[in-house]
Amino acid sequence: MTNVLAIQHVGYKHNFKTILHDVDLTLATGKIVGLLGENGAGKTTLMRLLTGSAKGSGTITVCGDTQPAHHRSHVSFTEQLRGFSGNTRVEQVASFYRTVYPDFDGARFEELVTFLQIDTSLKLAALSKGMKEKVIIALTLARQVNLYLLDEPFSGIDSMSRKRIISSIIKWKPDDATMVISDHYVSEIAPILDEIVVVKDQTVAVHKASDAVREEFGLGIADYYESLYEGSAQRD
Amino acid sequence: MQFDDKVPIYYQIKNYLYHEMLTGQLTPGAKLPAIRQLAVDLTVNVNTVQRALGEMITAGIVTSKRGKGNFVTTDTARLAQLKEQLTMEQLERAYEQLHALNLTDDEIIAGLKQYIAQRGQQHD
Repeated sequence: MTNVLAIQHVGYKHNFKTILHDVDLTLATGKIVGLLGENGAGKTTLMRLLTGSAKGSGTITVCGDTQPAHHRSHVSFTEQLRGFSGNTRVEQVASFYRTVYPDFDGARFEELVTFLQIDTSLKLAALSKGMKEKVIIALTLARQVNLYLLDEPFSGIDSMSRKRIISSIIKWKPDDATMVISDHYVSEIAPILDEIVVVKDQTVAVHKASDAVREEFGLGIADYYESLYEGSAQRD
Repeated sequence: MQFDDKVPIYYQIKNYLYHEMLTGQLTPGAKLPAIRQLAVDLTVNVNTVQRALGEMITAGIVTSKRGKGNFVTTDTARLAQLKEQLTMEQLERAYEQLHALNLTDDEIIAGLKQYIAQRGQQHD
């Protein structure tokens, strides 16, 4: 099995504060990976490093390519629709994507829009939290790449929208692509995760197959994740 | 379907499909839904469904026909064997738990008979 991503000795500092330190991580192709960690643990920073939109130390290889400037073409990440004004309509964002990303598949986008029940004539400022996440998912999955990143797609979302989003991930993630989904509340996505990666104490503390966690510890993913924090609380 | 997060998901998918077969929801020779469809229906990962089906194919319960999909075996003897095997697994689990309570074999049998009798009365 080949790897879609290899991170070696990656670190990142912001205002002299260490956000990530000596991160090593390798992800195989075709997986759905949960990127877990508390708020502020560095999950979003890690995603930004993968797309090349943040620059740190160390080496990041995406699809065999170590040039950060090239990573955007291998990685699909829609960071909170940043850079678009509230007056922009969803369909305008989509046409921007079509222009900027040669791998953007318009037909796929239409399928996702129908499935997620998105009204593309709406302006970004008029989108509810759940609808905004659905738009992000549709834009992200409409690109044909090897690595998809979703940053907390379920925070503050009602359960019906959550189910739709999870179904769209199962339906539209290409078999040979890997998807990283960050979350600080695990139980809702646990059944679809192949692997979990826990970011803690400025680095990747755990990288394990989900079913291995269940087999080895007899614990659910959420319980296992919480147990990692209980351990450190005792040491403090 | 609701999953128990403490138990490997592929194992639960396998048991779910076995249950469907042994209760006649899936008959011998029946075609199973496509892997991605099963994943969407059960809200699980495609790879996990693949692993469950892989093990069922190895066990001879499911046969894979290239380009056509996956089918429940038509070997009814094998399905009967599976039922026996799953029954024994359940009995083993129950027996070990009762044994751990320091019950003798006779007490376990007597207890089970009493339970079945009481259960029958409740249903009347």
